[in-house]
Amino acid sequence: MTATVIEATAQPSPLRPEARAPRRTRSLGVWVAEHVALVTLAVLFVAPVVFVVLTSLMPAEQTLTATIWPTSWQWSNYLEVFRTVPLARWFGNSALYAFGATACMLVSSVPAAYVLAKIRFRGASLLFGAIVVAMLLPPQVTVIPVYVLWSKVHLTGSLLPLILPNLFGDAFSIFLLRQFFLTIPREYTDAARVDGCGEWRTLLRIVVPMARPGIAAAALFSFFRAWNDYFGPLLYTSENQAAWPVSYGLATFRGVHGTDWSITMAMTVLVTVPVILLFLFAQRVFVEGITLTGVKG
Amino acid sequence: MITPAVIGLLVFFVYPLLASLWYSFTSYNLMSPPQWIGLRNYTYLFTQDPKVGKAALNTLWFVVFMVPIRIVSALAVAGLLVRVRRARGSWRSVFYLPALVPPVASVVAFVFLFNPGTGPVNRVLHLFGVDGPLWFNDPALAKPSLVLLSVWVMGDIMIIFLASLLDVPRELYEASSLDGANGAQQVVHVTLPHLVPVLLFAGVTGVIAALQYFTEAAVASGVASGKATIGAGASAAIGYPDDSLLTYAQWIYVRGFGNFQFGYASALAMVLFVVASVLVVFMMRRVGAYTPSEAS
Amino acid sequence: MNFRRVRSSLLLTVSAGAALALAGCSTGSADSAPVASAAPTDLSGTVSLWHFFSDREAGVIQTAVDEFEKANPDVTVDIHSGQDDAKLQQVISSGGDVDVAVSFSSDIVGNFCSTGAFVDLEPYITRDKVDLEQFPEVVRTYTEYDGTRCTLPLLADVPALYMNSAALAAAGITAPPTTLDQLEADALKMTEYNPDGSIKTLGFNPLMGFYENTPMNFGPTVEAQWLDADGQAAVADSTWPEVMKWQKAFVDTIGYDKLQTFTAGLGQEFSDSNAFQTGQVAMQIDGEWRTAFLADQAPDLQYTTAAFPVGMGHDDLYGSGTISGNVVGIGKGSKNPELAWALMKYLTTDTDSVVGLANGLKNVPTTLPALTSPDLVVSPQFQTFIDIAKDPKTTTRPSSPLGSGYGQPLTDFWTKWQGTDGSGLQDGLDAAAQQMNDSLALVAAP
Repeated sequence: MTATVIEATAQPSPLRPEARAPRRTRSLGVWVAEHVALVTLAVLFVAPVVFVVLTSLMPAEQTLTATIWPTSWQWSNYLEVFRTVPLARWFGNSALYAFGATACMLVSSVPAAYVLAKIRFRGASLLFGAIVVAMLLPPQVTVIPVYVLWSKVHLTGSLLPLILPNLFGDAFSIFLLRQFFLTIPREYTDAARVDGCGEWRTLLRIVVPMARPGIAAAALFSFFRAWNDYFGPLLYTSENQAAWPVSYGLATFRGVHGTDWSITMAMTVLVTVPVILLFLFAQRVFVEGITLTGVKG
Repeated sequence: MITPAVIGLLVFFVYPLLASLWYSFTSYNLMSPPQWIGLRNYTYLFTQDPKVGKAALNTLWFVVFMVPIRIVSALAVAGLLVRVRRARGSWRSVFYLPALVPPVASVVAFVFLFNPGTGPVNRVLHLFGVDGPLWFNDPALAKPSLVLLSVWVMGDIMIIFLASLLDVPRELYEASSLDGANGAQQVVHVTLPHLVPVLLFAGVTGVIAALQYFTEAAVASGVASGKATIGAGASAAIGYPDDSLLTYAQWIYVRGFGNFQFGYASALAMVLFVVASVLVVFMMRRVGAYTPSEAS
Repeated sequence: MNFRRVRSSLLLTVSAGAALALAGCSTGSADSAPVASAAPTDLSGTVSLWHFFSDREAGVIQTAVDEFEKANPDVTVDIHSGQDDAKLQQVISSGGDVDVAVSFSSDIVGNFCSTGAFVDLEPYITRDKVDLEQFPEVVRTYTEYDGTRCTLPLLADVPALYMNSAALAAAGITAPPTTLDQLEADALKMTEYNPDGSIKTLGFNPLMGFYENTPMNFGPTVEAQWLDADGQAAVADSTWPEVMKWQKAFVDTIGYDKLQTFTAGLGQEFSDSNAFQTGQVAMQIDGEWRTAFLADQAPDLQYTTAAFPVGMGHDDLYGSGTISGNVVGIGKGSKNPELAWALMKYLTTDTDSVVGLANGLKNVPTTLPALTSPDLVVSPQFQTFIDIAKDPKTTTRPSSPLGSGYGQPLTDFWTKWQGTDGSGLQDGLDAAAQQMNDSLALVAAP
């Protein structure tokens, strides 16, 4: 089933031609209406990007005027961002957080998901239920005691309280991975066991290669959640500018540095670009991943 | 193999839940040990706290309006895209890419775009002779402005809907055509039933996201208020304008990390826990009734 | 899968968590360390300094710290800039390494003194015979709480009225307004509109919440009270309605929506596009620090300053204002309190240091020797602030164990009320007072 979904998404195949064929005259009108709607919507969706990029290239004074097209192209606005704040460092922190959290998550959650998907044991359903509840409850419910724990071990002021817990499994990733692993027919894992493979070998040799798209999707989700996180860095790093990730730095940028809109928009663009690049690079995995969560979740 | 996950669940989920419950009966500022004060936090919460009601209503507002509006608009775009024959990939990217913009970046951008005095949106409206409203600076429009933002970034659920629409078996349409069903009837009798699982999925995840709505509202308030976050503290602008963006999750943050009333913030958290649990259990039941049970 | 292993690890974590929680793990080492009988003669080591300044102002602090390091070559000061009060509290209560902390507002004194986040300075003051009389009386009041002195003042802030000279001349105004009604009349004269009816430039922006428009700054114009002698909220029985009604009528004269639209398009308060600096607002209430920003960012702007106008029937108050200021304390977890105390004493009482900081930040000095020092650079515009600070009728907002948080209900109500039809003023004030008392009671529990 998963395979067909991806195929269908990827193929720009004409749809239900037989339903349309007999009513060609009317479909022309429908076709026009649909495309007018699409183009209008597309313009509305693209316009914010255009305005933001144009503003990021304006002279500072111009942002307060009615002219939308830059009177002169201030590419230096982008350099100005780096001069105003330690942006390179913040990007480094974001990368550390995103890669660190994702690596830790994979190490802990892949085996956990495998156990939940492929091994029967007492308490399995209770454990799975707990993971689902942990995944669904708002983080604010547990945030205070967790903060107290980290403050007792003096790790607040760094990103570690956001990275380390991933070593102990991440509920959402476990859930997602388990759903992927369930689609692997039991015969494969049973056969591996008959051949004398231990659980770890079965997991690494049989399950992981077969579930590679699923694991890639879970990793991407984890990466993006960390990259985009604002609440976590607000709690744990706000007092230590040297530990800020870019998303948090951007949120405080205009307030703290009283910066003009043009520079603020330049930073907005800078924060967004890596994510878009990553998407273009891993587009297929991405769309598959999202589709799979939706269809299977 | 699963031991680390079990430890994680206990340390980062079970223990904090129990500790929160205990803290909620104490006065605790992290500086000195918690002091038992009985139900004092709860009586303050239910009878005196001037903003908790507002915060809860705002959160409810997002659940009731933002979630369905997002779903309907995503469905509408997916419905249009499914009928496009040429360059569907490019069209899809146009509507999907905004979903990738980091939330903080998209909020900062929107507050700029909708800035009442100098923002492009009101400038464009002005061209049409319309006096643009105050958007993020108007207590009545701040929440709807965030709904507009949430529609702009609806790409992820739109992709799911699109995949599900493309997945409707062609035979079903053929069969219903033979039965004489017209387009509208086909939508009601063939397309929608097929979409029920993904619609429920979008609904459940949407409600859960709305219950913890924090980042977008907090950043919008901070940027729109023009208040320097420095000096007054991160919680100074929260809720701006006029507490219209104050969500329950933010109120927990303000009481906990702005005022350092950890005991009281824990009481707020326990109430959220009860409400969220009830909602989640209710929704899981509903979803369970529709989703075909999976093997193994 | 080994279920027994799961169970044992479960037990282990639960007990570990419980142990952590019960032990309440120590968060600081210097809680009750006795103070040495004599100040150490040689200072060495590293001391951390946390302050809230950023950008240009952080540079001024750096200069003062450099002087301290020059005088004490074995001492390294580790500076953490841009730290607001919530962060300070977060770090101090997590047992973080905060030796000396500078807060931007005396509002936190009640909170930090009563919770012990800042250590009691009395032993050091007595031992080193620091003369507290060198601080003006009102400054002494706002740096201690309930008999506990946990902070010393580091420069003070006083708001006054800034006026754009060109705009005054264009409107034919020769003397600064001294009453609120005059302020409004002058402001309306200076306000200009665009052809479409929107505001082009504003004489004075009356919106509550705009830049420094706060109850704390507006209240003294009518001698409005915050707390009564018992520490209970007094906002419902004081003179607040006088200034609130004036402000509301002023807003309505121009139009609430027009003002909101105009205000949303203005630059940030602490950016070089501050509305007074760009000329978009001709008069505004602002702190003495604005003179430094003006010199730095808008050197060509001609302006004058004067005491902020007062309400009808309060003529005797003219020339006074509200004073608050930066305060310095030693964090509870300080590993090296002697070094912290030395740095703090230097920053707050060394005349050269205080004068240098005052000249750089353009804040009002907080010691009498510094106030009269010939090295203090005083422009005519800056003199206004020194005069207000010295005025005997100048007051400060009382502190509480809740810090500044207790005043929030009044700010909230006022901000909301200014956009309504103006009814329900007394009801709103009653509710605000009730909310203030409720939250003060919760903090006082048990």
